[in-house]
Amino acid sequence: MSAKQETVEDLVKAGYEYGFVSEVKSDTLPPGLNEDTIRFISGKKNEPGWMLDYRLKAFEYWKQMKEPDWAHLRYDPIDFQDISYFSAPKKAGEGPQSLDEVDPELLATYEKLGIPLEEQKALAGVAVDAVFDSVSVATTFRKQLADAGVIFCSISEAVHDYPELIQKYLGSVVPHTDNFFAALNAAVFSDGTFVYIPEGVRCPMELSTYFRINEAKTGQFERTLIVAEKDSQVSYLEGCTAPMRDENQLHAAVVELIAMEDAKIKYSTVQNWYPGDENGVGGIYNFVTKRGDCRGDRAHISWTQVETGSAITWKYPSCILQGDDAVGEFYSVAVTRGYQQADTGTKMYHIGKNTRSTIVSKGISAAHGQNAYRGLVRMGTKAENARNHTQCDSLLIGDQCGAHTFPYIEVRNPTAKVEHEATTSKISEDQLFYCRQRGLKEEDAVSMIVNGFCKEVFNELPMEFAVEARKLLNVTLEGAVG
Amino acid sequence: MSTPTTTNWAQALVQQRSSPAPAAWLDNLRQQAESRLDRLPLPRRKLEAWRYSRIDALFKEKFTPVVQAPDGASLQRPESNSPHVLVFVNGWFSPSLSSLEQLPDGITLKSLAQTLNDEDEQLRQHLGSIADKDENLFTALNTALINDGLFLHIATGIHLDEPIEVFYLNTASEEALLVQPRNLLVLEEQAEATLVEHFLGGKGNDYFHNNITEILLLGKAKLNHYRIQDESSNAWHLSNIFLRQGEQSHYHGITLSFGGKWARTDYRTSFSGAEADCNLRGLYVAGDDQLGDFHLDIHHNWPACNSREQFKGLLYGKGRAVFDGRILVDRIAQLTDAQLTNDNLMLTRNAEVDTKPQLEIYADDVKCSHGTTVGQLDPQHIFYLRSRGIEETMATHMLCQGFAQEIIDHIHLDSLREQTLQRLQHTLKKLQE
Amino acid sequence: MLSIKNLHVNVDGKEILKGLNLEIGKGEVHAIMGPNGSGKSTLSYVLSGRDGYEVTQGEVIFEGRNLLEMAPEERAWAGIFLAMQYPVELPGINNMSFLRESLNAIRKARGEEELDAVAFMKLIREKAASVKLDDKLLKRSVNAGFSGGEKKRNEILQMALLEPRLAILDETDSGLDIDALRIVSEGVNLLRNPEHAIIMITHYQRLLDYIQPDFVHVLADGRIIRSGGKDLALELEDKGYGWVLEENAA
Ligand SMILES: Nc1ncnc2c1ncn2[C@@H]1O[C@H](COP(=O)(O)OP(=O)(O)O)[C@@H](O)[C@H]1O
Ligand SMILES: [Mg+2]
Repeated sequence: MSAKQETVEDLVKAGYEYGFVSEVKSDTLPPGLNEDTIRFISGKKNEPGWMLDYRLKAFEYWKQMKEPDWAHLRYDPIDFQDISYFSAPKKAGEGPQSLDEVDPELLATYEKLGIPLEEQKALAGVAVDAVFDSVSVATTFRKQLADAGVIFCSISEAVHDYPELIQKYLGSVVPHTDNFFAALNAAVFSDGTFVYIPEGVRCPMELSTYFRINEAKTGQFERTLIVAEKDSQVSYLEGCTAPMRDENQLHAAVVELIAMEDAKIKYSTVQNWYPGDENGVGGIYNFVTKRGDCRGDRAHISWTQVETGSAITWKYPSCILQGDDAVGEFYSVAVTRGYQQADTGTKMYHIGKNTRSTIVSKGISAAHGQNAYRGLVRMGTKAENARNHTQCDSLLIGDQCGAHTFPYIEVRNPTAKVEHEATTSKISEDQLFYCRQRGLKEEDAVSMIVNGFCKEVFNELPMEFAVEARKLLNVTLEGAVG
Repeated sequence: MSTPTTTNWAQALVQQRSSPAPAAWLDNLRQQAESRLDRLPLPRRKLEAWRYSRIDALFKEKFTPVVQAPDGASLQRPESNSPHVLVFVNGWFSPSLSSLEQLPDGITLKSLAQTLNDEDEQLRQHLGSIADKDENLFTALNTALINDGLFLHIATGIHLDEPIEVFYLNTASEEALLVQPRNLLVLEEQAEATLVEHFLGGKGNDYFHNNITEILLLGKAKLNHYRIQDESSNAWHLSNIFLRQGEQSHYHGITLSFGGKWARTDYRTSFSGAEADCNLRGLYVAGDDQLGDFHLDIHHNWPACNSREQFKGLLYGKGRAVFDGRILVDRIAQLTDAQLTNDNLMLTRNAEVDTKPQLEIYADDVKCSHGTTVGQLDPQHIFYLRSRGIEETMATHMLCQGFAQEIIDHIHLDSLREQTLQRLQHTLKKLQE
Repeated sequence: MLSIKNLHVNVDGKEILKGLNLEIGKGEVHAIMGPNGSGKSTLSYVLSGRDGYEVTQGEVIFEGRNLLEMAPEERAWAGIFLAMQYPVELPGINNMSFLRESLNAIRKARGEEELDAVAFMKLIREKAASVKLDDKLLKRSVNAGFSGGEKKRNEILQMALLEPRLAILDETDSGLDIDALRIVSEGVNLLRNPEHAIIMITHYQRLLDYIQPDFVHVLADGRIIRSGGKDLALELEDKGYGWVLEENAA
């Protein structure tokens, strides 16, 4: 019995693999937030006046707002004046023109992260934009994408090169008034990714962004905007890591997706920000607003997330299903161990006829981890024959953790149909024994059972990343089992 | 009109309290509750527990508390087969309408007001002991104005085989009345009883029925508790049931909600021993401009207790349903088995449903789940019945009854089950017109 | 090969095995029979290392090693296989990949090379055909939603695949129809050779019509109270357990 207890604890104590710090010279603004900070950021990026105005308007609004407190999360108040709102690897001011200009230390960092930044290494045909601290450092496969008419660049570039598109779409799904963290992001966002898929184009490769917070005391506030025109398709993946530091760092991103008629956007996240140590010291505070708008009929937005990192996760990737027959999906695996806390889920707003949504949420809590699913399904009065199916499963490993489910279901149309199911379980002794009797080591048995538990979600990830996610989950749960 | 505040709405009601309480300890209890009124927030959409209940209109209404026993002479005695019938008129016990046969030794069954005069030690010890820990405006309001209600005490090992039947009649009045029965049930170890409560109001009467029931079940005690809410179509009805269950005790509760324009029932269960069983079931039928609203807070604070929560709603016309059920499992409550389901059938265009089943779990060796559905009748099912020659309206009727049957089947009293079926059919027939 | 001496086992503080002795040699097939609740499954779990079984006295030596000190997977690597009376369901875990993980873990422990996907597929198809297990079941989650008979056949498939040195079959025959019983027996007979030993726990003589045991033991009240050849099984069939129990008491 006691041998067993130890193992579970060991499993839970597994280390953080991505905790190295890169020695890169950087250009960092001292901590503090006021109008000047915003002017500085905007100036650094040489932004047009309309962009600065947008930021300042958001900042004014933010100042009036209160930090939300409804989530099932406990953390010390964030001092927004003690954060640096801009940090760029030196040289970034001009922006690298080709990979040769990128700091070799940076490239080495990405290699350590396993990102195929150099094109020749990009095996799977994945185009990568990498955001290091606040600034986008390189975008691969530009030419191939340009030939297809796809725009894939940093949002700073897009502000200069495609101002009409940015002005039209930025903030149109998540307005700066949406919530506290979205307002903050609108004021101080430093960089991020812009993707535009023209009508009828099927993006020829997976697009991908890797985010890394490197500098101490910095916040990262990236902004992602993806527009898929009529009848186009794109699959996009973001990955995140951060070094081990014993203070908390803030990450407050905003992601907006817009899918027109018959367009399909698949957005996958593998989030592995530094979770803090086993005593709950340090780690990233991850407050993210993600929302997709299905503006046309039959538009389809699919969110898949594997959340293994961060000390605090507060995120609810949502879908507004406006077009008739639009489809929204949310597939999530969230792991909390150590003292990690996650309050995550989705919102599905069914507005159009025959809209359909699927929610599959798998929460795994270990050690002192607290994992909450929070979701809203709203069937509007015009959502004829709309459908939602929600499955929320929680797995508890150890008796110090918590698993919570907070769904909200609002139905205003009798022809709509909502089904919600939630279960809570632990890995049964019988299952473990059965696997071990067949020769599997206990830790392999645990990871196999956990992977089985998460399977429906992993199946939704693009193939290359499913493998990576599985590995990540194993690393997260694996320990030095004796 | 300026928005009402707790102070001016609730205080105005409390000011109308008549005489001081017959006992000093009760006066104390009332006063403590009164002092809480000031700091308790007025229930609003912003408070999670009131998110969907839409109660604002209540605070715009002016109510008059019933501060003395009304005359029940003109009223008809309700029909009942039970040898133990208690009738309350506007919250006050009516001896002339009640009929209490000789009870076995060890059972006290009488009105609260009467018990107060008798200085019952049980009453003094337990009244308010669970409910008044709750930070709730309506509980404080009830306590601040405590006058009368039901008191039941059953001594160790005593079984009362026949059901106790209680009727709460709410009569017409010039002004809208505030009716607040206050009930206390204490079942000592291995005691057993069945209680049936009917909440009734004359057609169109406007009143606010705000009742509180505290139930203490000691080790191995067993209570079957049926509640039939059929208030007037203009009534506000709020029931707060506080249940504390001892080791291996058993509670079997069913609430049937048919009436009222706004009817909400809150159950709060906690345990004081292991291996107890709590079964809560409910059926709500809400039509035009009615709200059927259930809130459950099941706190598993002892190991190895089971709870089943099963609630079903039928909505028609502009009927609205709210369901908010939480299962909370503490770290020490290993081996908890808790299953909650909520199913809603929307029969018409303008019906609305808001449902919020929640799990909050801090122990790992537990079996907990919830399931929720909202939808209309399955067209396939209707088609199947029609293809067997059954008219569409009849098919709908049958399917709705089938939907409700799952709850009704858990009523173990034949006459009550029959009565409930008839009540349901009455509504379903109206629906077809 | 296996030597059990004076084995006492408690479950939840209650003594279930009360001084059990059993010697099993290479190539032998032993049948263990006995009334319900006598401790047969308990014995199979103790041998395979399930949690919750407290050995208070005695020893179990398997091929010179102290079995009781080994983790369940180490026992599996050493060649012990348990076909469970009630096989466990593993939702979400693909049967095929489970079998492959298991086989490779054991091959690795034996110092053999791990099988690649192609070689494994070929092997598993063969083995599945030999126990007449529908290929479709290989693609489903392990035992999840399998019928009772399918679960048992899946156990036999695993046995055929892993080729254990000592297979323990806990009532693998119960709940099977005659056809399934024949298939299961064929699987067991295939494994039978001078290097492997088998313990069959069963209620019924029926299975012994298909698999001829070398020894038959009667387990009652936590002890082996009688051992003999296959004739003992016939006698048991004839006279019931009462007979041995009485005789033993006398
Ligand atoms: N987990 C357990 N807790 C308590 N008693 C158990 C447990 N498992 C088995 N037993 C008891 O041990 C005895 C032997 O059971 P078992 O080995 O399953 O018998 P058999 O397989 O011979 O039918 C029975 O009395 C049974 O009730
Ligand atoms: Mg057995």
